[in-house]
Amino acid sequence: MGPLAGARGVIVLVAEGLRKRFGANEAVAGVSLAVEPGEMLALIGPNGAGKSTCFNMLGGQLRPDAGEVRLADRVVTGLAPRHLAHLGVGRTFQITASFASMTVRENVQTALLAQKRQAWRFWQAADAQHVGLAEGLLARVGMASQAERPAGVLAYGDLKRLELAMALAGDPVLLLMDEPTAGMAPAERAALMALVRGIARERGVAVLFTEHDMDVVFGQADRVLVLDRGRLIAQGTPEAVRADPRVRAVYLGTAA
Amino acid sequence: MDLIFLQLLTGLAGASTLFLVAAGLTVIFGVTRVVNFSHGSLYMLGAFIAWSLLSRLPREPEYFVLGVLGAAVATAAIGAVLEVVLLRRIYRAPELLQLLATFGVVLVVQDVALWIWGAVDLSLSRPRWLRGAVEIAGLRFPFYDLVLIVVGPAVLGGLLLLFHRTRWGLLVRAATQDRDMVAALGVDQRVLFTSVFALGAGLAGLGGALALPQGSANLNMDLSVIAEAFVVVVVGGMGSLGGAFLAALLIGVLQAFGIALVPKITLVLVFLVMAAVLVVRPHGLLGKPQAMARGEVEALAPIRQAGPALQLLGAVALVLAILAPFVAGPYLLSVLTEAAVAVLFAASLHVMMGPGGMASFGHAAWFGVGAYAAAFAAKGLGAEMAVGLLLAPFAAGGLALLVGAFVVRMSGVYLAMLTLAFAQIAWAVAFQWVEVTGGDNGVLGVWPDSWAADKPTMYWLALLLCVGGALVLRRALFAPFGFALRATRDSALRAEAIGLDAHRLRLAAFVLAGAGAGLSGAVFAYAKGSVFPTYMAIPHSVDALVMVLLGGVQTMAGPVVGAVTFTVLQSWLLMGDFWRIKLGLLIIALVLAFPTGIAGAAAAAWDRWRGRAA
Amino acid sequence: MGGMMLQVENLHAGYGGAKILRGVSFDLAAGEVLVLLGRNGAGKSTTIKALMGLLRPTAGRVRLDGADIAGWEPHRIARAGLGWVPEERRVFPELTVAENLEVGRRAPADGRAPWTPERLFALFPNLADLRQRPGARISGGEQQMVAIARTLMGNPRVLLLDEPGEGLAPVIVDLMAEAILALKREGATVLLAEQSLAFASRVADRAVILETGRIVWDGAIDALLADTGARAKHLQV
Repeated sequence: MGPLAGARGVIVLVAEGLRKRFGANEAVAGVSLAVEPGEMLALIGPNGAGKSTCFNMLGGQLRPDAGEVRLADRVVTGLAPRHLAHLGVGRTFQITASFASMTVRENVQTALLAQKRQAWRFWQAADAQHVGLAEGLLARVGMASQAERPAGVLAYGDLKRLELAMALAGDPVLLLMDEPTAGMAPAERAALMALVRGIARERGVAVLFTEHDMDVVFGQADRVLVLDRGRLIAQGTPEAVRADPRVRAVYLGTAA
Repeated sequence: MDLIFLQLLTGLAGASTLFLVAAGLTVIFGVTRVVNFSHGSLYMLGAFIAWSLLSRLPREPEYFVLGVLGAAVATAAIGAVLEVVLLRRIYRAPELLQLLATFGVVLVVQDVALWIWGAVDLSLSRPRWLRGAVEIAGLRFPFYDLVLIVVGPAVLGGLLLLFHRTRWGLLVRAATQDRDMVAALGVDQRVLFTSVFALGAGLAGLGGALALPQGSANLNMDLSVIAEAFVVVVVGGMGSLGGAFLAALLIGVLQAFGIALVPKITLVLVFLVMAAVLVVRPHGLLGKPQAMARGEVEALAPIRQAGPALQLLGAVALVLAILAPFVAGPYLLSVLTEAAVAVLFAASLHVMMGPGGMASFGHAAWFGVGAYAAAFAAKGLGAEMAVGLLLAPFAAGGLALLVGAFVVRMSGVYLAMLTLAFAQIAWAVAFQWVEVTGGDNGVLGVWPDSWAADKPTMYWLALLLCVGGALVLRRALFAPFGFALRATRDSALRAEAIGLDAHRLRLAAFVLAGAGAGLSGAVFAYAKGSVFPTYMAIPHSVDALVMVLLGGVQTMAGPVVGAVTFTVLQSWLLMGDFWRIKLGLLIIALVLAFPTGIAGAAAAAWDRWRGRAA
Repeated sequence: MGGMMLQVENLHAGYGGAKILRGVSFDLAAGEVLVLLGRNGAGKSTTIKALMGLLRPTAGRVRLDGADIAGWEPHRIARAGLGWVPEERRVFPELTVAENLEVGRRAPADGRAPWTPERLFALFPNLADLRQRPGARISGGEQQMVAIARTLMGNPRVLLLDEPGEGLAPVIVDLMAEAILALKREGATVLLAEQSLAFASRVADRAVILETGRIVWDGAIDALLADTGARAKHLQV
């Protein structure tokens, strides 16, 4: 939020020297990264390389042992997810997480109520709040026609789009997306990430995502970071990363 | 010095039997995911069967061992039958309904035991060798205490070997983590589950049999031991045998010293220790965070606002309720007053259980606190009724805030067991603190002000406060607060990610539930003119659960339907002798017939009917 | 060997009121690797779960080497010879890798040489050093290998693999493909559910394509690769 939103070339998120240890295993051993507004930054690497740990430190689910996370110019290291949400961090999860006992529209309304700090109201009817805003967000992700369906019965790809709409309810400056296309068919994957890319460009949202589908990574990312054993081993444009022999050896194999 | 040693020994000996019960409970829960409320009943049966065997067998040590083992085997067999006849049918039912069904078993067993063994405490005339003492380092230790102290670690060792050195144990551990996957690998779950249940039941029976020589077999053992076993399992960490052992030692020793030194606050002490442990280690001493067990993720249907038809039905029912005093006699009117109280009691539980996702086994605690607050206002302060009615929700809500502050950090079974443990302590305080509460005699003469003294006025007041209270709660559930609360239940991860404070929302629901129950308790106190510790007892908490589950958790009308149905059933069908067995069988039958509750089943039938009509 | 190992005839199944499979039929010959292709929600996982008995078929027959196993309980189907590797892997998190394998142990119904942990560690060398590591503390790729190895310990006659490459790094996906090819050389019969035609084309002999719960294409994998029309129509690639 604030003056940074939409201003190209200014850094939204900076992480410096992040470390996290679980017992004897150092999951993340000094990772630094930065994302700009409107940028699609992909974080890739082998299973167990520390991507999820990294992500959870940025998203507030885990507190780093060392290092610093800054959002705009504010230090947010170790801040709880709900505080980050109010500072403009939207999040989607690898395993979809929506509110199954509500309709699609109510899911987005709840996100809007939460973001506007209106959850502690005990008397007014919730389903009459922010109807227009909710429908607008659903239209933006192509879910307008399903607004009245229960979220629990949605197809997987539609759930992902609902999650995106909920993440957008807070008017985020940064979107953290953990394996946004896992479990989707190839055609759906490209469509979802093209949608995210459009939103990132249009609103100047910085997007950091992890992904295993190389078509998505090389097709949609502006920049790619490669993590192996808790360290960044390569970063740069998709073309440069794809050509990097170390990346081919530890991660890409025959896929590139 | 001697006294301290003796108390320590008594504590360690008590810890052994407690460990056996808790170990059985935790083993059964691990594999079947059923919180077996009837585990205390199996313990009680173990004691009764042991009494029957040992009072007939010769009094030599070898026959004592034989009798005790016989009781354990018989209890294991009863457990196996229970599993095959009842539990097997409800493994896929929501866990609260399973719990309710096992509580039905508690009631049935109580009456069966009453019928077979009678209401008198049965103690064993102990042979001389059992009463003997052993001299160690100049001190005389009771021989049987030493035997018990050895049994605990021996059983723990045996169980660990069984689980870690046999294929059966490996399969049990695997099933604890993912039972459907185990089945898909070719293992017959039924055999596994029945054998695990029999083992757990046998441990409970062994505990009961071993406890017999130092006490007696009586009809109160079941609920008192189950509350203690819950505490042990929670403090030790769900699913951890080693944790259960440590916790049993801790609680056993604490109780032994507590009873010797400060008998009145022993239970409070236990609760404080439990609180301290859980603040430092939220999953118990050796427990791990509880993952949702595979293969039982419930898909929750959306909660809908009542449609016009249902709203009309509700309005008609309300009008009829308001007009009732013009036609109803005094008895019916008092039943209806109780039903009104039950509506708020159930609706308040529903707030935390349904949208809050926090099941409470101890909701009667708040009801009782409200009732005692009213009694205190009336008798202690000599205040008008309005003061009592106002004080009650604040007293109950305030206490709920204190207790809830760490209870709502837990989830699922932990939370439910903690609420039960707390309610049991509240009950014990009411029972033991005779100077203030009058103990078992209760507080009498809590009468309403003269303007409300006649039955119809009191009924209308109850209707106004309780149905009004329930409607206020309902309104909050459809307000942003209710949406936010449901959001934290559906997905805590997502709720936090959109900026909701799950902890505070859950705490608020807990306090609301407590305050609502407190108000219903105060109304009940004035309507009855008296307050007793039984208001807080476990069976009353179960009443609330039955009402909510009977009606259905996933509908807003559910608790209302359940409360009225249950009150009417209770007053007409369940009078006289052996009401427990009738209620128990009724509960079991309802769980088997309507796994989604009456209102849930009605809603599904309505949908089907409309689907056909459309 | 030769002959039909698995014959699926007109299989119907669904969840609650939702019908997912509306008459699925295909055959699987002994020693063959067959891939089920199709979009998300087309019914691939549902087919596998219905074969395994995790979901009760509402109609249809499943013949395993002649015997109709439709409607049996999962443990009987597993004993009859179907081995299932779930998409989510479902490794027992608190059991060690070695214990995970032990849970799956079951003697072969026919006279074949049984799988042993040693033979499986040769197939998946990465696992050999992880024997005593709990399932929760190995990477996603290693979990996938444990899941396959655990099922092989039951010496199944037909291996059901549900998206073995899902969520894994490309290098690990390569390892999975190699493992399937190694099993095929040993004569294993495999039914594979997969989204990725690229992966399928590396390991499968034959493909069937599912669309809204029905088979819309059935043939050799090479024929599918050559048939750009069918690929575009059914798989959008």
